[in-house]
Amino acid sequence: MRNFKTTALLLTVPASLVAIGLYAAPILQVLALSLTEPKLGFANYQSLFANAAVGRVVMTTLKVSVMTTVLTVLASYIVAFAIIHMSAGWRRISLFLVLVPFWISVLVRAFSWITILRRRGVLNSALMEAGVISTPLDLVYNLLGVTIGMVHYMMPFAILLLYANLSDIDRRIMQAARSLGARPATIFWRVWLPLSLPGIALATLFVFVFSLGFLVTPALLGAGKTLMIAEYISVQISSTSRWDLATSLSTMLLLVVGIIVFAAMRSPALRAAFVARPQQ
Amino acid sequence: MRLRRIIEVGLPRFVAWCLLGFLFVPILVVIPVALTDRDYLSLPQDGISMEHFAALADWSKGWLPSMLTSAGIALACAAIATALGVAFAVGAWAAGGWWPSFMRILLLSPMIVPPIIYAVGMVKLWARLSLLDSYTGVVLVHVVLALPLTVLAIGASLSNLDQRLVQAARSLGARPMTVFGKVILPNIVPGVAAGALLAFVASWDEITVTLFITGRAVVTLPRRIWTSIQDAVDPALAAIATVLLVVTVVALVARALIERRQRQQKL
Repeated sequence: MRNFKTTALLLTVPASLVAIGLYAAPILQVLALSLTEPKLGFANYQSLFANAAVGRVVMTTLKVSVMTTVLTVLASYIVAFAIIHMSAGWRRISLFLVLVPFWISVLVRAFSWITILRRRGVLNSALMEAGVISTPLDLVYNLLGVTIGMVHYMMPFAILLLYANLSDIDRRIMQAARSLGARPATIFWRVWLPLSLPGIALATLFVFVFSLGFLVTPALLGAGKTLMIAEYISVQISSTSRWDLATSLSTMLLLVVGIIVFAAMRSPALRAAFVARPQQ
Repeated sequence: MRLRRIIEVGLPRFVAWCLLGFLFVPILVVIPVALTDRDYLSLPQDGISMEHFAALADWSKGWLPSMLTSAGIALACAAIATALGVAFAVGAWAAGGWWPSFMRILLLSPMIVPPIIYAVGMVKLWARLSLLDSYTGVVLVHVVLALPLTVLAIGASLSNLDQRLVQAARSLGARPMTVFGKVILPNIVPGVAAGALLAFVASWDEITVTLFITGRAVVTLPRRIWTSIQDAVDPALAAIATVLLVVTVVALVARALIERRQRQQKL
């Protein structure tokens, strides 16, 4: 009896050692360094809050993350809602159109957008040949380009989350509403929307948290001109070697993400949605 | 009445298809660019050319070595992450209690914690252990990042498994390792396979942490693509993007066909 449980616990040891030694420890060291590099105390955090460049980076990050989250969740809800109302054949095609970008490397997607949006890119050339514009538009390497790329990256995640959530809603409730004389618009606002709030909250949470710490798309589509936190941290460790700044900013980012996730998990509906997800 | 129906039903559906187009169509732009007859990023001008695909196969251009590097790292990562993930998921499922639940949260946290924070930590740790820019260093980091996926995939398989199977085997006198190896493991093969595949893909695609812990010696495919995007001239970049796109589409279609066949067999 005891032998079986001991063996089972022993099986969990190797992965646990890896998680503690190669994940928890290095991250804890980042937190520790932020308080000790170069000397013990909260001096790094004081200079962090006084630093105007950091302030600008934080504002850009918040602006892009909020815009991305709002646009992604809204657009994804429209798509997921349409997909669950399609016939089986169209649904398969739509899900295919979502799954291809979902599985394609984030680098390939960023590259596609650069090809389309840059000054001599596909879109500008087409618009100029059609005579709509005479000088190329600045569509990339700015806030606009970063937001387009981020929304494109986040949408497949959000659609799949919302699709799973909307598919679980009992359709008989809508039939009941209709038989009681509710119009389609009423059914949407008073039945569909309230029932899908947990899914919307979960998608909002994921997209916002991913956006806050996202490096690849902002770095490639912002090209240093639209600087977000992750890229700013990367500059501190790879070119300027400002470990004090990198570690204290990382700690702040971790703290913010931790608080958001912790607060979200206190809501029972979100917790249920989160726990149920792996089995989809 | 008719107009109202168009606005309430037709318009949202039209917007949904436009958004699906926004997701899918921009990716296709890499195909014409890969076929350009010029030696810079552009659409084909006087005809199409396959020379940029040929460049991918040219060893000296660096694309082929990067693909092999990535494939080797991803295979090693998949093997290690799957072994660790199976052992952990099965052990946690059989034992229960606070320790496995706590470790599960820690193992899954790389999915939520921004990878840039992990990159900062690993640069420090690998610098101290002289593992920067080494295959061992990259594989170990990829294992940590792939473990959440294997643990989730195998956990999903286990949640469909009947605990009474284990009780029956034990009451018949099976030893613990026999129960794990001959009763539990054969029943979760699909989950293990899915976990291994996810681990492979996670490693094959990983860029954020790899970017900071590699240099000249270990150039994975994503790292090679990253550098190439920043230069933004070489059409071979569009050729490799096209190859990755085709592989993804083929894999998704194959999966759909296999699932359909399985459904038909069940009927």
